[in-house]
Amino acid sequence: MSGNNHQYAFFLGCIAPNRYPGIEAAAIQTSKNVGIDLLPLKGASCCPAPGAFGSIDLNVWYAMAARNVVLAEQMGMDIALVCNGCYKSIWEVNHKLKHNDELRDGVNEVLKEIDMEFKGTADVWHLAELYYDPKVVGVKKLAESVKRPLTGAKVAVHYGCHLMKPSKERHFGDTENPMWMEELVAALGAEPVQYRNKMQCCGAGGGVRGFDIAHALDITNEKLINMEEVGIDAVTEVCPFCQLQFDRGQIEIKEKFGVEHGVPVLHYNELLGLAQGMSPDELALDLHAISVEPFLKKIL
Amino acid sequence: MAVKKDYKDQKLAEKLRDRKYYVPDSNPEFIKDVEKIGQTAAHMCYQCGTCTGSCPSAPRSSYRIRLFMRKAVLGLEEEALTDPDLWLCTTCYSCTDRCPRNLAPTDAIMAMRNLAFKRDIIPRNFLQTVQLIYKSGHGVPNNDANRAARKKLGLEEEPETTHKYPEYLPGIRRILDHYRLKENADRILAEGE
Repeated sequence: MSGNNHQYAFFLGCIAPNRYPGIEAAAIQTSKNVGIDLLPLKGASCCPAPGAFGSIDLNVWYAMAARNVVLAEQMGMDIALVCNGCYKSIWEVNHKLKHNDELRDGVNEVLKEIDMEFKGTADVWHLAELYYDPKVVGVKKLAESVKRPLTGAKVAVHYGCHLMKPSKERHFGDTENPMWMEELVAALGAEPVQYRNKMQCCGAGGGVRGFDIAHALDITNEKLINMEEVGIDAVTEVCPFCQLQFDRGQIEIKEKFGVEHGVPVLHYNELLGLAQGMSPDELALDLHAISVEPFLKKIL
Repeated sequence: MAVKKDYKDQKLAEKLRDRKYYVPDSNPEFIKDVEKIGQTAAHMCYQCGTCTGSCPSAPRSSYRIRLFMRKAVLGLEEEALTDPDLWLCTTCYSCTDRCPRNLAPTDAIMAMRNLAFKRDIIPRNFLQTVQLIYKSGHGVPNNDANRAARKKLGLEEEPETTHKYPEYLPGIRRILDHYRLKENADRILAEGE
């Protein structure tokens, strides 16, 4: 650990540590390589899932997310995370509680039962935005960390929904055709490609994956078709739930609709890990439902 | 004397006499509840349909978010809350980003889902997530295959969450119990069996 490094409490969520642990390993290592130390946020829980919990009772969602934020407040640190769904819960609840006294008082009444208090002293960041922010990392420093450029690889970016939308409450600007994640991909030497309806949802959110999987997969299938139309070697995203939907979803799409895609799906941290010289084993890429081999052949 | 205009078809005339849309079970409180929970001024909706046009669920189902917005304004609580389409919103917020009235139709949907849950109307998968979090702190918990993979990566078998520190679970359960969420989830799931 270097004294000059930025330090954050690392909020893991569920799907990264419990389904794609390579994302967790990659996030820690790749961040260290660009001057960010991710420290354990002990005792954190599910964010909790904004679609499921928000749909049932928003008050529970506020209280449960606030508990996770308070753990970071107690460490005196800001939170960094790797998942759009977690970002919606943790960033948005933190933001709402900081700006709405009535809401904060209600949440604190519940947190009091477990000797906790939301004070509003921590900020919440997605690692992707920290990588893009020149005050923390920036595209230039990111490019300098690359040891094995992903030259010749065509990569589609899936932004997902809950990082940038609703844009009125966020700070990312344009959500119709953003390009900042393409810059992050280009920094690794890969070629980011544009495709039809880039900002469309993966289909999994809002509890729809659990409620009506065929409906969710139909949305995913449309996105995959739109990506393949322009010819890609992989799709990258910054949300393990989107990753699950695109990766395992392709197996389910084959079962349900008889359509085969074979598109490798990589979280941006896995992509960054490969570019920084991490091996496929160090990223547990064998856990992916859709083989990443064709992509590896292209870049290794 | 003013000329009284009327249709010759007496049935149609009768139907059109009362120009105000009226449904006997309309509940004027419904829109207020939706606005309070969703924190958006849903009654300002002028039904342009930008929301439905932006919706990834609309082209593949009968889910129409514009219709739900209208039902909220008209107080058609029963119709809105019992319609299974309510659960087809992926909460992508495209409608919210594009709404020319600066409303948040997504949050209006979330509010209607909250109100549906108060009547025990909720798909099972939502409640199963509650049970999983009550048990382990995670909606998607660890498993043996994943523990082996974590070990191979040089990570600890249990992540630095409630999995590694189960002493944090009572606090989580206390929050869920405060809202009687686990109790209600168990009850509704058992009743559905």
